[in-house]
Amino acid sequence: MSTTDNATTTTERSKPLGNAAKAAQGDGRAGNRDAGRKPTTTILVTAILAIVALYFLVPVYWVVINATKSTEDLFATSGFWFGENFQLWENIKAVLSANGGIFPRWGLNSMLYSGVGSLLATYFSVAAGYALAKYRFRGRKLVYGLVLGGVLVPGTAVALPLFFMFSSIGITNTYWAVLIPSLVSPFGLFLASIYAGAAVPDELLEAGRIDGVGELGLFHRLALPQLTPAIVTILLFQFVAIWNNYMLPLVMLADEKLYPITLGLDNWRAQTDRLPEFYQLTTTGALLSVIPLAILILVLQRFWRGGLTEGSVKG
Amino acid sequence: MKSYTRRAALAATGAAGMGAALAACAPPNPGNVNAEAAIPPSDGPVTVSYWAWLKDLQKVADVFNASQDRITVETTWIPGGNSGGYAKILSAVAAGGGPDIAQVELRQVPEFALAGAIVDLTRYGFAEQADAYDPGALAQVKVGDSYWAVPQDTGPVATFYNREVLEDELGLKPPATWDEFRETAAAVSEAGKNLISLDPSDGSHPIAWAMQSGAVWFRPEGDGWIIDMTDDASIRMAEFWDGILADKIIGTGYGSYTTPWYAAAGDGTVLASISGSWSDALNETVPGGSGKWAVAPMPRWDDGYASGGHGGSSAAVLSTSKHPVEALEFLTWMCTDPAGIDAMIEFSGIGWSPAKDYIGEIRQQPSEFFSGQNYNEEIIVPMAEGQNLDWTWAPMMQRAQAIIGDGMTKAVSGEVPLVDMFANSQKEIVKIMRDMGLDAEEAR
Amino acid sequence: MRSRTAPWVLLAPFLVVFIGTMIVPIFMAIGYSFTSVTRSGLLGEGGLTNSFAWFDNYVAALTNANFVASIGRMILFGIVQVTVMIVAATVLALLLESASAKWPGFFRATYFLPYGIPGVIATILWSFLYIPGLSPIVDVLGAVGINIDFLGPNMVLWSIANIVTWTYTGYNMLIIIAQLKSIPGELYEAAKLDGASSLRVARSIQLPLIRPALMLTVIFSIIGTLQLFAEPRLLQTMSAGITSEYTPNMSAYAFAFQYNDIGMAAAQSVIIAVAAFLLSAIALGVSNWMEKRG
Repeated sequence: MSTTDNATTTTERSKPLGNAAKAAQGDGRAGNRDAGRKPTTTILVTAILAIVALYFLVPVYWVVINATKSTEDLFATSGFWFGENFQLWENIKAVLSANGGIFPRWGLNSMLYSGVGSLLATYFSVAAGYALAKYRFRGRKLVYGLVLGGVLVPGTAVALPLFFMFSSIGITNTYWAVLIPSLVSPFGLFLASIYAGAAVPDELLEAGRIDGVGELGLFHRLALPQLTPAIVTILLFQFVAIWNNYMLPLVMLADEKLYPITLGLDNWRAQTDRLPEFYQLTTTGALLSVIPLAILILVLQRFWRGGLTEGSVKG
Repeated sequence: MKSYTRRAALAATGAAGMGAALAACAPPNPGNVNAEAAIPPSDGPVTVSYWAWLKDLQKVADVFNASQDRITVETTWIPGGNSGGYAKILSAVAAGGGPDIAQVELRQVPEFALAGAIVDLTRYGFAEQADAYDPGALAQVKVGDSYWAVPQDTGPVATFYNREVLEDELGLKPPATWDEFRETAAAVSEAGKNLISLDPSDGSHPIAWAMQSGAVWFRPEGDGWIIDMTDDASIRMAEFWDGILADKIIGTGYGSYTTPWYAAAGDGTVLASISGSWSDALNETVPGGSGKWAVAPMPRWDDGYASGGHGGSSAAVLSTSKHPVEALEFLTWMCTDPAGIDAMIEFSGIGWSPAKDYIGEIRQQPSEFFSGQNYNEEIIVPMAEGQNLDWTWAPMMQRAQAIIGDGMTKAVSGEVPLVDMFANSQKEIVKIMRDMGLDAEEAR
Repeated sequence: MRSRTAPWVLLAPFLVVFIGTMIVPIFMAIGYSFTSVTRSGLLGEGGLTNSFAWFDNYVAALTNANFVASIGRMILFGIVQVTVMIVAATVLALLLESASAKWPGFFRATYFLPYGIPGVIATILWSFLYIPGLSPIVDVLGAVGINIDFLGPNMVLWSIANIVTWTYTGYNMLIIIAQLKSIPGELYEAAKLDGASSLRVARSIQLPLIRPALMLTVIFSIIGTLQLFAEPRLLQTMSAGITSEYTPNMSAYAFAFQYNDIGMAAAQSVIIAVAAFLLSAIALGVSNWMEKRG
């Protein structure tokens, strides 16, 4: 997986020390042709990239600064700098204890929906993708077509009938109502089948069969390890997709105690109209909920790239 | 073992497919709670839950909770109706959950009844207590012979005006009739100011004007609805406002009590708001306005009514409630007992009292902001008494109001005059109601 | 035997959930969309009956001015926002890969960061930057004499476009970068020997070869645009410009949960799905046509 290796190198390149030299030596193919770049070009390009970076960082910067303020300072002092009082810890305490500690519960709910949902969804879609890639059987094309159709149908279009279906079996307003629909990742199936087609050699499976390994054993013991990069990508993709989902929990859940963090924060934000103190709770709550995902995204960035390449190159 | 799994998988798939075929026939019907037996009162202590967007409603509930020991009321704040609150209530009810009581704006009550989401209160003896309520409030929760909710507050329209500028500076008087309104608005406009400013997309104003003029846009007749937006009462109102808009003698850039309105009201460049009685609390935040503002009746026609209804909400008992009797007992206390009314005014800042003979203790005193006027007793009481009791809300007011708002926007830009807009809206509303499966027709 | 049962065993868990939560609901939606109700009594208290309505709901949806306007709004939004975002993502990817920039790892991570922030929270953050009185941006612009109402009726669509662009540009950029990295080095070598400028390399080598990735991002963006829901719905309470039927998805939601018209809501959902399907197919067709032509 040359892309993944490449990503590792480029991540290391981000250390400013000796950067120019390294870039000139070339850590990848793109680097070579630019060996003779003029320093003015470097400054210009870096300046453009820095300005763009400012744009991407402004809301994050704003929330970090303003989570430290009191409600009065939030309105009275400039949003781009700290207020009179630094009360980040008080604000965090207020967020964690508001409504009898509902915020940590929302966080745990989000972890549950995203964690359990993405683990199972990944296992299901990798197994199915592997089956589609490595077996020739009747109905294979049909399944492919069905799933392709599923990818193109907007998820929100199914939310309404799903609501009626779930309410007729009485599982709306329960954890299941959000968890069950999160278990399916058609995108993951495609990624897994493309990846399995390339990364799991038929000879490997044949050798396993000769050794008397069962079909499920072949998948679990021989294929899965080969599929690790795809698994990580699907897992991350699905985790973020569930974490970000808004319409499904909005439609399914009525009880605040079952809310994921997104819906909960939205509920707080909606109260700011009448109760300005909720501005501060929402701001600090937003900061707290951005941190874990931001870390996840930054640390695992290279996996996105590895998997997505497979999806786009061959897809 | 493998083939068993496969069969199981195929069976599951087949069952799911079969379910699809069956379920695909029709959407589920809402249960009809109002056809089932009434739920008897509970023996033991019960907890009644209440979803509303009134502020500090729990403090009101606490007053009730302290007054007896059988019923405990717990309130939960939800976003305002059209900001997500209604969807939340309705989906909770559809899912078989939700609270015992929910706040529903007066005009939305029939829509909730149509969704099968609320209990017909006549089945729990509400009609016998109807005397305790202000008739103007009561009329707005009644469709046909059924009362669908307990009115919680109302908004009889009055004129809130800048006395200092209008009277002292310009030498004008608050208009008592619509003809005077036109003259006054023209004179104020001449002086480079606006008498009022409207947000044309807000359909609630034309509805209040129509109510006052004596129109009954949505009239139940037997099992069907007659939609009548082109009667004389509506047309005179439409022609009048077409004239006002053509003369451009009022502001149309922003509505009352918005940020630009406050700025203009503070500067003395917009002089009044003709809106529901709940405007008083909003008006009191006009910067530097204390002692300068006053309240006058809504301008009126020679006949018709003294005032119209603008806003206001009710508390409805939801169809999934296990304790409708106890819920109604609490609501009766909250909306008719002086202690309940005073608590709602003090903690939640409600609009006009829904009780018949009690406007609230603090509303019986002169107001410093409104030039020392005892405006509640002098002005609002007659406005509340002079309501159009024949008016009925239709089960699609959210859309009707949006249609009127769109029509006003087009009238302001001069595309379609209100006179034509009402005729068009009448057609559109009939069509929507028929699409909803109701029996509706245009008035002849 | 083994190859006949084994794939179904492996497929079973996925298929059961997929059919149960996607295929069945789609068929239910189609079924609902052909149904209309008749209610007896003023408010349907006498019960209601469902009947087959042929294409009535579809006709009603497509002649509903608000719904048609919401589709038009999304097309306008899509044309502008998707174009801006894809161009920005491509330019950023090319700049980052040009090796002319310092600290590319830092920039790449920074641009990608918003993808990890849920749309709801991104909207909350940006809304605080839009609200006059709270927003330092409005203050700064006001101080230099520019008064922009980000939440005004004409502006708010582009304020939403900004949130979406902010969230997804970095993600699309990563897809394109991944594709750029898979371009064989010999191509660059050859171009270098020919003395091609970097602009020329971008135009004649890089852009044609990343077309598949661009297509992928365009299609995902189109589907995303049609699904627009969370951002406008959250801003609705702050902006007079956003009605309950502002986007097709909000409209379907309003008909289902506010207007008691499930048949219409279902018909609108189906129209959204078909539109997404058609637009994606058109995008693919155009791409193939261009490839053949090029």
